[in-house]
Amino acid sequence: MNEGVQVLPLREFMKRDEGWGRDQGREVYQHLLRFVEDSPQTMIFKVSMKGVQRLDISFASETVVELARRYRGAKGFCLVDLTDRDLIENLDAAAEKKGQPILVWRGRSADLIGPEPSGGAREAFQFAMGRPQSRAAEFAQARKGMSIANASMKFKQLWEQGFLLRRESVADTGGVEFVYHRIG
Amino acid sequence: MQCVVHFPAQWIDASKFEAALRNSCAPHSAGTFEVNFEFPTNCRVMVDAAIRLLSLVNQLASTTRRVRLDFEEGVSGTMGYLNRMGFFDQLAPEVEVLPARPLYSAAEIHRGGNTALVEIARINKDARDEELPTRLTDAVMRSCGGRPDASELEGAAWTIFAELIDNIFAHSRTRLDGYAALQVYSGGNRLSVAVSDSGVGIMDTLRPTLKTEFPRLVGLSDTDLLVEVFRQGLSRHGSDRGCGLKGSAAKAIKFEANLDVRLPNQRVLLTPARGTYRPNTAYCYEGLALIWGTHIAFTFGLGA
Repeated sequence: MNEGVQVLPLREFMKRDEGWGRDQGREVYQHLLRFVEDSPQTMIFKVSMKGVQRLDISFASETVVELARRYRGAKGFCLVDLTDRDLIENLDAAAEKKGQPILVWRGRSADLIGPEPSGGAREAFQFAMGRPQSRAAEFAQARKGMSIANASMKFKQLWEQGFLLRRESVADTGGVEFVYHRIG
Repeated sequence: MQCVVHFPAQWIDASKFEAALRNSCAPHSAGTFEVNFEFPTNCRVMVDAAIRLLSLVNQLASTTRRVRLDFEEGVSGTMGYLNRMGFFDQLAPEVEVLPARPLYSAAEIHRGGNTALVEIARINKDARDEELPTRLTDAVMRSCGGRPDASELEGAAWTIFAELIDNIFAHSRTRLDGYAALQVYSGGNRLSVAVSDSGVGIMDTLRPTLKTEFPRLVGLSDTDLLVEVFRQGLSRHGSDRGCGLKGSAAKAIKFEANLDVRLPNQRVLLTPARGTYRPNTAYCYEGLALIWGTHIAFTFGLGA
């Protein structure tokens, strides 16, 4: 999915290096929305936190988290250039409240903020995180006793809840098959 | 009817402030047209009480009551301290001050120079000061910047100010100003952060929406509901909002902060237990004298 990945530098949409409050968040959100809509080919936006000194929970909720929620299932949003503990805590609190999972990437590893996958889907999520793209058949093959139907259901649930993206593709058998992608 | 609120000759925190109000006739009651607040020699008003007092006095003045503040000691006593805090800069001009209003604002002269005190900051939706949470946080850091956990405290303080002040912009629905203030006490061991508004109290905005937004909570008492506001995050706008007060509380809990919330007729004190605020460690005082709005104070015991 590399061709559809783009960096979204949040600081460039903010007037100051601090994001404070719902009203300011909503203003910034409108600009973010335009940026996303002007990039129809982009499937994954890496939201860079470079240069952002502070964000409160309300601002985080109205900007990055709202964007991820709005496009859930269709486009993915993850966070990069983020190490500040307070920023992470505030983004996490906002993501948790809106029930929107978001990945924070550091190099090639990622942490999840917001809600976690439910017990049954956790393993499927970990499988999908281990490779750029996954099919239900591959997960079923890798796990003893897992049927393709069951694997498929878990991936679908993760996609609906915003943990993964998916694309339609044609299976070897000629039918429709979904390919699931991690976000970032 | 004339109403007299007499403060005792000692430190006045939010509890002593309530006691003095309780011993008076209620200043907001319909028959009251004149209210006198008396500050005897050696009476010292602390920051959490000071901004509640300021809100109440300005509320009374806005309802055309005659209000008088009588400082027995004059500027050499608590009046001088309130002046340094900027109390008189924010006081409605029609309020009478005895022996006389200070000729100059000590807050303007000392601004930024006093490490233990910050001026009372005005919160007004139409004149939003974008620097306010940062200025208040910088004041905390002037006193507490040398602590090993200074960076965590800085982040917590900024988020608490940002969320509480933004909450006033979003919810209070009043033309009267709100206020924010902080003070570091006893050699940096105790930090008091107070935010006050004169709008519609948080319960009055939340209760009417419970039936549709949070039907499970309809039967809760005000105390239990308030605990849930800070623990789960509840908002009249629905279940995906309300993260501000919850997030502020989560930051304050890390420093074992006590939380004091004054509503129009109630006051709820919350103490942290096992990493959260809980109904069984909350104290609620009901039937208090009316003060409009929501008044929130966190007290951080910062240790040595």
